[in-house]
Amino acid sequence: MRRRLTSLLLAGTTLLLACDLGGGYQGMAIDPPRAMPTFTFQRANGSVFSTAPAPGRPLVLFFGYTHCPDVCPTTLADWKRVRATLGDDAKAVRFVFVTVDPDRDTPAVAERYAKLYDASFEGVSGDAATTSRIMEAFGVAAAPEPGTEATGYLVSHSSQVFLVDAMGQLVALYPFGTGWEALAADLRRLVS
Amino acid sequence: MGALGAGCGASAEPPLERLAVRNGWARIADSGATSGAYLELVNRDTVPVSVIGMSTDVATAAEVHETMQHDGMAHMMPRTALVIPAGGTVSMAPGGLHVMLVGLRRGLTAGDSVALDVHFSDSTHIHVVVPVRTP
Repeated sequence: MRRRLTSLLLAGTTLLLACDLGGGYQGMAIDPPRAMPTFTFQRANGSVFSTAPAPGRPLVLFFGYTHCPDVCPTTLADWKRVRATLGDDAKAVRFVFVTVDPDRDTPAVAERYAKLYDASFEGVSGDAATTSRIMEAFGVAAAPEPGTEATGYLVSHSSQVFLVDAMGQLVALYPFGTGWEALAADLRRLVS
Repeated sequence: MGALGAGCGASAEPPLERLAVRNGWARIADSGATSGAYLELVNRDTVPVSVIGMSTDVATAAEVHETMQHDGMAHMMPRTALVIPAGGTVSMAPGGLHVMLVGLRRGLTAGDSVALDVHFSDSTHIHVVVPVRTP
């Protein structure tokens, strides 16, 4: 796990070096935009969620875990604000929470966690191989950390939000602490 | 006499408590899941005091944790003793210090409330009831 963390951190660093604050995005623009592979996840009811490009429908992704009491719910609460700000335009946006802790977060658990904040949010949990591949593609790192007897292990994880446009290209990211208004503004540009 | 009594009562300021917990709130969460709560801890004493524990009926455990950001990673770690400096205030906030509510015995929805006991190093404790919010 530690070795994987190191390699993913390096990948993430490379990704960040390619970023600037230009491109017309209020988030950190990825210049040039980076074509992302498609990933599929099985939902608890057996249906499939795919990250495949969809006309007019950008993707917003965050990688976390459901035992996370702070950063992950803060992000989902920010997405809720973004949705409210976008109004009807928000229906085109696919908000996706991807767990980096599939051992504890089953598809049903991940789904309930995301939908607690908004019924339109997807919460997905892949198998180990899928989780590893999507994290590598986005330059996301995660590593278990010691917790307490009550919490069990904790998970350190990348905390930025990723924006993928309707053509399947990663166009911007939003480090934790970026005001949600930046994501709302960039999404409005993509969907209106 | 009645008027005099009322006048005295109206002009008297309530004594400020040596320690106070205020502006608290907790997050929505499912039964069995994890939630977070945030408090403002005030120490009006002339010596530091530490928070050494939390307890609540709504969860298996309530622990003070801190999130720290480093190179785009969120790290979280338990804080077994949280010092509130003399005459100081420690404010918990998203992305930083928080109370981790582990193993919720019931779901928390907006409009609910959560009772918390904050235990201090001087053997005192403060009981607070904080609202559950959809932030």
